[in-house]
Amino acid sequence: MPLILIALLPFLGAVLPALMIRAGRTASAWSAGAVTLAALTGILAHAPAVLRGEIIFYQLDWVPILGLNANFMLDGLGLLFSLLILGIGLLIIIYARFYLDRDDPMGQFYCYLLLFQGAMLGIVLSDNILLLIVFWELTSLSSFLLIGYWKHLPEGRQGARMALTVTGMGGLALIGGMLLLGDIAGSHDLSVILQSRDVIQASPLYVPALILILIGVFTKSAQFPFHFWLPQAMAAPTPVSAYLHSATMVKAGLFLMARLWPVLSGTPEWFYIVATTGLITMLTGAIGALFKNDLKALLAYSTVSQLGLITMLLGFGTKMAAVVAVFHILNHATFKAALFLTAGIIDHEAGTRDIRRLGGLRHLMPLTFLIGTLAAFSMAGVPFLNGFLSKEMMLEEAAHTVWAGSHLFIPVLVTLGSLVSAAYSFRFIAHVFLGPRRSDYPHRPHDPGFGLWAAPALLVALVVLIGVLPALIAGPLVAITSSAVTGGDLPYFSLRIWHGVTPALGMSLIALVGGAVLLAAFVPLDRLRASLPQDTAKAIFDGLIAVAVRLARGLTAGLHNGVMSRYALAFALTVLTAAIFAWATGAAGPATRALTPVPPLPLIGWVLLVAATVTIVLTHHNRLLALILIGIAGLIVSVTFVYFSAPDLALTQATVEVVTIILLLLALNFLPRGSPREGSTARHVRDALIAIAVGAGAAALTFVVQTTDFAFDPISAYHLANSKTGGGGYNVVNVILVDFRGFDTYGEIIVLGIAALVIHALAESLLESPVGARLARRAPDKGESGDPHPLLMVVATRVIMPIALLVGVFIFLRGHNAPGGGFIAGLIVAIALLMQYMASGYDWAVSRQRFPYHGLIAIGILTATLTGVASWIAGYPFLTSSYGYFTIAPLETFELATAMGFDLGVFLCVLGAVMLALDTISRLAHRAGERPSPYAMDVDPSRPQSAQRV
Amino acid sequence: MALWQEIIVAAFLIIGGGFGLVGSFGLIKLADPMARLHAPTKATTLGVGGVLIGSMVYQAFADGTFSVHELLITLFLFLTAPVTAMLISKVHLHQTIRKSELPPTGTDRPWATLDKQD
Repeated sequence: MPLILIALLPFLGAVLPALMIRAGRTASAWSAGAVTLAALTGILAHAPAVLRGEIIFYQLDWVPILGLNANFMLDGLGLLFSLLILGIGLLIIIYARFYLDRDDPMGQFYCYLLLFQGAMLGIVLSDNILLLIVFWELTSLSSFLLIGYWKHLPEGRQGARMALTVTGMGGLALIGGMLLLGDIAGSHDLSVILQSRDVIQASPLYVPALILILIGVFTKSAQFPFHFWLPQAMAAPTPVSAYLHSATMVKAGLFLMARLWPVLSGTPEWFYIVATTGLITMLTGAIGALFKNDLKALLAYSTVSQLGLITMLLGFGTKMAAVVAVFHILNHATFKAALFLTAGIIDHEAGTRDIRRLGGLRHLMPLTFLIGTLAAFSMAGVPFLNGFLSKEMMLEEAAHTVWAGSHLFIPVLVTLGSLVSAAYSFRFIAHVFLGPRRSDYPHRPHDPGFGLWAAPALLVALVVLIGVLPALIAGPLVAITSSAVTGGDLPYFSLRIWHGVTPALGMSLIALVGGAVLLAAFVPLDRLRASLPQDTAKAIFDGLIAVAVRLARGLTAGLHNGVMSRYALAFALTVLTAAIFAWATGAAGPATRALTPVPPLPLIGWVLLVAATVTIVLTHHNRLLALILIGIAGLIVSVTFVYFSAPDLALTQATVEVVTIILLLLALNFLPRGSPREGSTARHVRDALIAIAVGAGAAALTFVVQTTDFAFDPISAYHLANSKTGGGGYNVVNVILVDFRGFDTYGEIIVLGIAALVIHALAESLLESPVGARLARRAPDKGESGDPHPLLMVVATRVIMPIALLVGVFIFLRGHNAPGGGFIAGLIVAIALLMQYMASGYDWAVSRQRFPYHGLIAIGILTATLTGVASWIAGYPFLTSSYGYFTIAPLETFELATAMGFDLGVFLCVLGAVMLALDTISRLAHRAGERPSPYAMDVDPSRPQSAQRV
Repeated sequence: MALWQEIIVAAFLIIGGGFGLVGSFGLIKLADPMARLHAPTKATTLGVGGVLIGSMVYQAFADGTFSVHELLITLFLFLTAPVTAMLISKVHLHQTIRKSELPPTGTDRPWATLDKQD
């Protein structure tokens, strides 16, 4: 299976569980599992080759001009992580099926989980750092969805927001760092970057790039001081915590450090930043974990601590330490996931995860006790379990690491960290399972069914197997992964339980014994801690967010306060300044065209237009009158288009005017009759002067343009010459719309559709607001008409309707060769329907509407898209049109162009958008108390007297 | 086109234009909205009608063809003009006339427009 397919499989498969949930929860889980299994099989098929030392590549140019290629690579490191992601993913899917409640939307859960899985796979398989960043951001987004899965819980929402903010900010830093790195190396392909160690480390940009990348990595892997988001993210369902926050996502940072280890590591900067951060994280995490009473919080802090440990190992910069880091990544994933799943079982069965309310569960839940204890022992570093091996090797590395000349600094602190680790691991066992049996568990604890314990049991089996037979089980994988991390030659290492009496063994013993002692002194220590200041990270974070929100709000309210005249002022002044600057610095050619005489007809139109406009300015307080005057201006403009031989524009303008005026009239129904007088006279004078200056400037510009020749040949000659031969139509305007600039039109109808939907949504929130209540209380200012839907009007509109529809079809069909087209036809049909609304009332018409107008917009855009895509099948670019001539017996030979399909999309979209706007007004009317009448007209002589409306 | 043909076309145009002028003048001159309603109906029916007939005759004389566009325009005018006039008069009734000022309808129903008013 090609790597790109493996990486995309979870994305493609993400819809399956969401659909299959209709067939039941088990079917949904099966589909998610099948997708994961398929991807896992794909990886396993490549595994033998990778273990032989080969690297699998898949290359595809995506956006080559940006250096962004869909290049994938599978080496040892990718293999280890892919196996973790998919293997543990599969176990989590099984576990979640039994963990989630009946009320939880399981299809959604698996959908998010697969999206996340795909994003993670993408990170570990990417061979291109830009592609890697894309997947990196996708993990932030999908983990946001997963952490906030229980939307009803405020902790879930806050935790999700915090995780997204922290990792998202880190992602931004990472983008900067990666771009710098790509710049230094001269390529965005990892395989090239990994070869350019010397160039990169010699570059002056090395340190900035390193710091930016490390910020991204540390936020993702919850390293100090960004570690606070991980415990907050524990509001997620336990399977998510086990998957994201122990096995995979938090390891993405480690992965990236390991991936870039060959080029970035080995410098003092790397050592001091990474190793020290790791060390601090290890200690703070361990101490945090010890005192947490929530099981999941304990595990979250322990994860922080363990991640710090691995970070520190990578920071050491020696090849042996990198090997140990790889080994511990594998071990940590197994025992920590098992621990999280155990915590989930305890929560599920005992009804609480508060350690203070637990204890004595070993008799009630013997199987869980066994699984939990083995996993916790492994975390503590007890021999014969895998945690012991990697911890022992880690201590060995730490024992001879020198920090700023000190030989003791790291070994002592690392031993202390291990000691606290052992203490919290023992606490997990002692305070949950040991001790006397209690009588006040919220539920009656008992071992869960197979579905829940299978996954942690399998993981613990691995813990033991690796612990007992490390070289056999994990040896080859660790070797090949480490050689990928270290970039080839590997130091000698052996995965064995007994290395002889070494300093590490002593440190291990101190840690284990000290951990037990520390736990024995837990109660007084806890009291001491309670008297110290508490964890303040969340408060600081919330404070920072509040400041950011206040700043954003202040800025937005200052610039964007809803006063229309202010925006218009800013716009007018900007244009004026730019125009004055252009006029002052540029040069206009001399007038080369003679002025034409003014015949009486345009003069009359001009006088009407000016008169209407001036009257609007003077009388705009009367809204109805202003609307009528706007109508006059619109008609004159349409007639002007006719006069200048632009029939398409004239038709469009006329129909747009009609639709606008009708919709505005309907909207005016819900508005006050007049607009109030606002602002002082001085302001009016100022605004008038600015407006006149802008208007005069525009007029002057037009005059100059019209009296001089074009500086370059206009493009219209090309359009005129190619319209028939290229686009198959004589109507150049229409061919431009659907062919030459079809992509523009495509974008425009999408914008139109979005605008209509936004209007609809805005009205929805309007109706929910106090405005809606006011509408409902609204009393008409004059007594209502007894006959608002008169017979004459109803009959006339019914008679005109089929004619208008026919005209619409006619205009649509002729569009390609004569004035017309989808846009105008859509408006004409919309007017035909609008008339019915006006004649018989909104509610009467709405109750006869058989299809949603939203759908019309969607179908329109889909039709246009499909027409465009169809040209791909023929091997041409998007929206290439073709045409042909056909003869069907009784008809004349006629032309069919694919552009007609596109035009149909335009037609549907325009119709849907206009009607959706009308529908919005209808809802306002409905809120204002209008109810559907059973009759189309109020007074109908053909109805019996008893059925007349009273 | 012969002179007599041109005279016929011109006559129709002048008749149409004359009615248009009369209609517009009446719109200014007449005092009462109900009376003023009559003026533009002259312009839309006889005024535009004269121009349309002139156009048809011109087509027949000049090209020897029978033009149907004008008939369609006439049809639409006949359909829309009464609706407009009726709606204007209804608004006038509704907004300015009290029920008591109106003559009886001759049935047991009141004037439809004022049906809901007290």
